[in-house]
Amino acid sequence: MNRQFRSFGVIMLMLLLLCVPGFLWRSQQRAHVQAAYRSQMAPVFLVPGSSATQNRFNDLVGELNRETPHQHSLLRVEVMTDGALKYSGSIRANDRQPIVVVGFENHHDGYETIQKQAKWFTTAFRALQQTYHFNHFSAMGHSNGGLVLTLFLENDLVKTQAHADRLMTIASPFNLEEQDQSVDTPLFKQLSNGRKRLPKALTVYSIAGSEGYSGDGIVPFDSVNRGKLIFQGQVKSFTQMTVTGANANHADLPENQQIVALIRQDLLA
Amino acid sequence: MAEQTSSFGRHLIGFEIQFRRNRQITAIYHALRLIFPVILVGTLADFINQTWLQRSGYYYQTLHVAKWAFQLKLLRQYLGLLSAGTLGLTAILVTFAVSFYLVAPATPLIVDRLMAGIIAIIALKSLNVNRQSVLGNHSVQWLSNNLGLSGILVGVLVGLLVGNGYRWLIDHQDPDHKRLEQTVGGIGLWLIVLNGLGFLWVSTQTVSLNAALLTLSQWPFQLPHTLGTLLGFGLLTGTCQWFGILGPIASVGGQSIEAAQNLAAVLDRSGWHVPHPVTLHTVVDVYATSGGPGMVLALLLAIFLVQHHARQRRVGWYCLIPTLGNFNAPLLMGLPVIFSPILFLPFILAPLLCITLSWACLVLHWVPAAAYPLANGTPGILQAYLGTGGSLAALGLSVVELLLSTAIYYPFVKWAGIAEEAVTHEPTIS
Repeated sequence: MNRQFRSFGVIMLMLLLLCVPGFLWRSQQRAHVQAAYRSQMAPVFLVPGSSATQNRFNDLVGELNRETPHQHSLLRVEVMTDGALKYSGSIRANDRQPIVVVGFENHHDGYETIQKQAKWFTTAFRALQQTYHFNHFSAMGHSNGGLVLTLFLENDLVKTQAHADRLMTIASPFNLEEQDQSVDTPLFKQLSNGRKRLPKALTVYSIAGSEGYSGDGIVPFDSVNRGKLIFQGQVKSFTQMTVTGANANHADLPENQQIVALIRQDLLA
Repeated sequence: MAEQTSSFGRHLIGFEIQFRRNRQITAIYHALRLIFPVILVGTLADFINQTWLQRSGYYYQTLHVAKWAFQLKLLRQYLGLLSAGTLGLTAILVTFAVSFYLVAPATPLIVDRLMAGIIAIIALKSLNVNRQSVLGNHSVQWLSNNLGLSGILVGVLVGLLVGNGYRWLIDHQDPDHKRLEQTVGGIGLWLIVLNGLGFLWVSTQTVSLNAALLTLSQWPFQLPHTLGTLLGFGLLTGTCQWFGILGPIASVGGQSIEAAQNLAAVLDRSGWHVPHPVTLHTVVDVYATSGGPGMVLALLLAIFLVQHHARQRRVGWYCLIPTLGNFNAPLLMGLPVIFSPILFLPFILAPLLCITLSWACLVLHWVPAAAYPLANGTPGILQAYLGTGGSLAALGLSVVELLLSTAIYYPFVKWAGIAEEAVTHEPTIS
């Protein structure tokens, strides 16, 4: 009889011993769960380039929704110069990957404006985060939209405590429209200096359009190519692609069928 | 040895003895015992890999293994290979052994016994091929993901089919003919018939036999989470496991949409407000799987309380480490619980009691619902405590349920021990 209770006691003691690490760890549990937690919703942000509004990607989203089993709902946000937000469209309940287009009332070109747009994007991002409780996302920026997103990732992402999964920049001029390859614009210097702050788990795709051999008609190929000097070695992976053929000029790129296929395959998959 | 046993117990023991003396069942039991060491080693490797070396492991998280361990990646790869090479081949080993042991009493020739096993393996593999590769006339691709622990039932069935067929051939051998010719003829005939059956299955069914059984066992996930469906799930999981489908059935609950919404609610807001308090995860995963599905930790405790049978105790000690980490395969196969009529009852009843009790406590708000994900290998009684972010009421409920389950297992383990001895020694049952 004694022997049987001794074995029983030994096992109960072992069970208790194995529980000790769990008891000691419990105070750190919430932080641990929080760090590993990914919300079900992971929106895809689209940011248009200069001179384009929040309606810039209506056709693209229609195209993306045409051949997909899961329709992405579309919310358009316009950030006014005073930071106020104007919404149109909606996010469907239980849509795990809605598309959110963030446009700006001041959508002019220029170094100063891009800086402001990055801050306005942060304003919109935080407002949406509070409403929809997502903590990870992907993003695509066309032209200057890619610069806005890169600035956001370098400067403001940490404050939002969100995780960036994938970034796709389409014809984003990391050295602006500078034709001289030996000149570094202030924006490029800023992006390059902040590259260490880019999220390490980010997957980046940079797509260039090419009409001739030097660029897409507006942005020089070298300026897009400089993305590698910012992302390479800083993020999980960096892939650079060049699209040629029909619709390869700067403005047509978001509707280019090859790029639509790449967005579907690499950003939404 | 004289034993005081109730009439219900005597009936059960009598039935178990009769059942165990059946030729088919004897072969299955021998096969399970034969491969027990392989399963034990594979499970231990899997246990260390899952709980100590993977991010989702209990010890990995609580003991901060990543900070002090070295060569983690190498260890993961090595242990992954070890467990895949053992547990991943369970169905093949079972089918070989069942067929071998069925033929063994019918012939003194080792070559016949081995050949029966080999044919069974070929028959099993002909059921596990890539359908497209066969029908498309490409080079045939073999599937290996159905040959693990979840394939034990299919392995047993194929082993029985081939073993009995081979026995029939042996019984009908013509003593005047040369042995070699007969063997070649018999084996040829068998392979043609069995491959034909496999081909028939592959060409008419879009899923493998195992996938069909697993799909059947997962149907409650589409139903709302009421007490009835939870009990139905418990019954179905238990029955599947008892029949040797030891697959990842119960763990799916933690990945459901409800579980994700519960976690989001707890992390996004202060306080502990869970939108779906009654789900498979909050009830079955958290409270009814101490030691793995079937409350097997309670079975282990009952074995040491009974102390009736030395072999049971030895198996218990061997299976101690994996069972404490909720890896139940070695104990289910070593004792065995699989295909044992006596142990079927507590194996089903204990989880059903835990499900009912936990459901009642959750509905009455006596315990909070678990929302945090459970780390692999979390000791059974700690699952509810850590799942609820440290609720002592949940911990108390887990301990009570473990003790109640042990009480349920106790008489049945005792009777199983008596039956085990009776099969070998003929004891006196009073």
